[in-house]
Amino acid sequence: MFKYASDMDNGRKISRREFLGVTKTATIGGIIAAGIAGGAAGYLARMPEIKEVTKTVTITPPPAKLMPTKVGYVYVGPVGDYGWSYGHDRGRKWADERFKNIESSYIESVPEPEVTPAIESLVAKGCELIITTSFGFMDATAEAAEKYPDKYFVHISGYRSGAAGNASQNMSAAFAEFYQLYYLCGLAAGAVTQTGVIGYVGAYPIPEVVRHINAYVLGAQYAYKKRTGKNIKAHVTWLFSWVAPEQARLAASALIDEKNCDVLNYTEDTPAVLMVAEEYQKKNMKVWSFSHYSDMREYGPTAHLTGPVANWGPIYLDFYRMVATKTWQSVDIWARVGDYMPWRWKQLVEKSTAGKEEGTVYLAPINPVIPDDYVSLIKKRYEEMKEYLFEPFTVEGHDPDGKEPIRDQDGNVRIGFGERADRNALWSMDWLVEYIEEPLPK
Amino acid sequence: MSIEWIEPVLASTTSIGVVYLLGSLGEIYAERSGVLNLGLEGIMAIGAAISFIITIAWGHALAFLVASVFGMLMGFLLAFFTVSLRLNQIAVGLAITMLGSGLSGFIAFPTTRKTILQFLNPELPSTALEIQSAPMLPSVPLPFLKEIPIVGPMFFNHNIAVYIALMLAPMMWFLLFRTSIGLKIRSVGENPGMADALGINVFRIRYFTCMLSGVFSALAGAYLMLGFQPFWIEGMTGGRGFITLSLIILSTWSPLRAIFGSLLFGGIEVLQYRLQLFGLGATSPQFVLMLPYAIAVITLSLLSLESFRKRISAPAALAKPYYREE
Repeated sequence: MFKYASDMDNGRKISRREFLGVTKTATIGGIIAAGIAGGAAGYLARMPEIKEVTKTVTITPPPAKLMPTKVGYVYVGPVGDYGWSYGHDRGRKWADERFKNIESSYIESVPEPEVTPAIESLVAKGCELIITTSFGFMDATAEAAEKYPDKYFVHISGYRSGAAGNASQNMSAAFAEFYQLYYLCGLAAGAVTQTGVIGYVGAYPIPEVVRHINAYVLGAQYAYKKRTGKNIKAHVTWLFSWVAPEQARLAASALIDEKNCDVLNYTEDTPAVLMVAEEYQKKNMKVWSFSHYSDMREYGPTAHLTGPVANWGPIYLDFYRMVATKTWQSVDIWARVGDYMPWRWKQLVEKSTAGKEEGTVYLAPINPVIPDDYVSLIKKRYEEMKEYLFEPFTVEGHDPDGKEPIRDQDGNVRIGFGERADRNALWSMDWLVEYIEEPLPK
Repeated sequence: MSIEWIEPVLASTTSIGVVYLLGSLGEIYAERSGVLNLGLEGIMAIGAAISFIITIAWGHALAFLVASVFGMLMGFLLAFFTVSLRLNQIAVGLAITMLGSGLSGFIAFPTTRKTILQFLNPELPSTALEIQSAPMLPSVPLPFLKEIPIVGPMFFNHNIAVYIALMLAPMMWFLLFRTSIGLKIRSVGENPGMADALGINVFRIRYFTCMLSGVFSALAGAYLMLGFQPFWIEGMTGGRGFITLSLIILSTWSPLRAIFGSLLFGGIEVLQYRLQLFGLGATSPQFVLMLPYAIAVITLSLLSLESFRKRISAPAALAKPYYREE
């Protein structure tokens, strides 16, 4: 019987002449067989007397060849930086491994003014999907999306997309957001601090970092107030850099030496702060810190409490599928706890997945040095976050008695009873909570 | 405010200052002999990358040794281009900086690093192949001395590399200013033609100082990695090579004064973050973060003024290639 390849482009078409040549050998019913062409098999099956004399020819066409989807990434730093670009590259590999029929490539260490040539070269390579992974690449990506309407663009950490209405429809925005996890880190900090003073090494005073600091301090205030009845104190120093381990080290030791901070969190792409905490632990000083973007336990096995971790893979896989199946839709994804998790419902504390790898953002393993009550609290909140049953920027997130609204450093009430910080409040946060002693640089 | 805050500041100052000190010791010799080693930054990066890998494979001592061998090779390269081929020292120096930065990133890149480590020491566990930090030099507090207030934490509570660097500075000063070899080096940098006429081999001296400068630059990088901040990232030298170059001008090419210059720049770097906490510059930390670079820019621009160079007695033949027949 004949089996036509579904894809006529593969050059192995069977001509009508060949077909007739074959059927010529049929002594009876040849004309009938020829007339029904490709549907012959089913027809012949119903005519057993003909089937016996029809020569059966089987041509196996090559497997349908799907062209791999070409994807290009533009990274702002070197992939060996361990932090941001490394995280994205890990996400790329994760998604490639699962999607298989993908041909991805990347350009690393692209300074912001040079992003347009980088995008152009990826387009010239035939990339259908281009992913740019730095805030500063946003406008250039939107311009490229205008220029190449038949290509697809994803920009990480920005706010321009077709969905938002401020870019063309072939551009999407995505981000893995950490403020919930920083709040959980804060709970851990409040549970273990002995001095009642916590520190934060910040990269730049921009809304993203500011809301992470606030979430961290709110969590610490909640746990510390619950534990001791006193208010937490917090100190912040700024690096004005995303990747600067030596600077982060100096800043971390400044917080410890000068202000007695004993739990340090940070926004810097290396484990430098965690390593400083570990060195103090070796000197028998109880100083704690966290992972950042990836599980960094090996750099501070004693000092590590938990930490926010991101896996960009599921986000990328989603876009691969959209492009490969031609089902693109411009989206603005702000992945939080629960997103891309296979089971995004609240679980019981005993069954909590806090500290396990799942979805896009999740907690690094939780150090058992945190008192059990507070580990349970962290797990409870984590589970509630999956369904947005709990949000950090609320009165319940701030005060264990549920009485105090969230105030800024000037004493103004920023989030009152029954309120939650919404998208705009989170996106443009330009105030620090009252427990932080340093003003926000302007 | 009590005086307690100053001790940790001074301890950190020495800890970071030694990076500058080691870099400047070799560089002073090169510049005293008339060669500007602008490749300092790149050689530092190479030293950091090499010491990172070798420490994991073979331990600290060999790490410093191998790093200095590579530094010497880079110094030889510098000498070949600037002394033998008489190319523009600034162009060659910048090229070496770029080469060093790129090469260091390449050899310490996770996949290359893994291959190198497996080749150097096949018995390494897989965690050692993956980890991106080197074990730090252990701190060796000196008994009794470390108890002295202020000075104790500043100088006597560090790792062995700090002590060696601090002792090397006066020795290198003595060699440069009180011995005949030092006199030869200085005369080559002041008037190579005259030195040549007196029978001093200008080329040999300059090759020697270039290689010495390479060794010390690499040691500075190795110390940065093993003694100060043991997590590897590409570009971890962070412009410290260029800051060292301006520090040398501040210390008027003297290894002894370089100690103070190094501590000054180290101190500024440490204070950047402390000042934010003390309420100074808290609203605009960018200003304090800019200080080391601002000072570097000012001193480097001053050097371009002929009168200023004369006043601080810069080596007269600095950055000038020597032609024997002129």
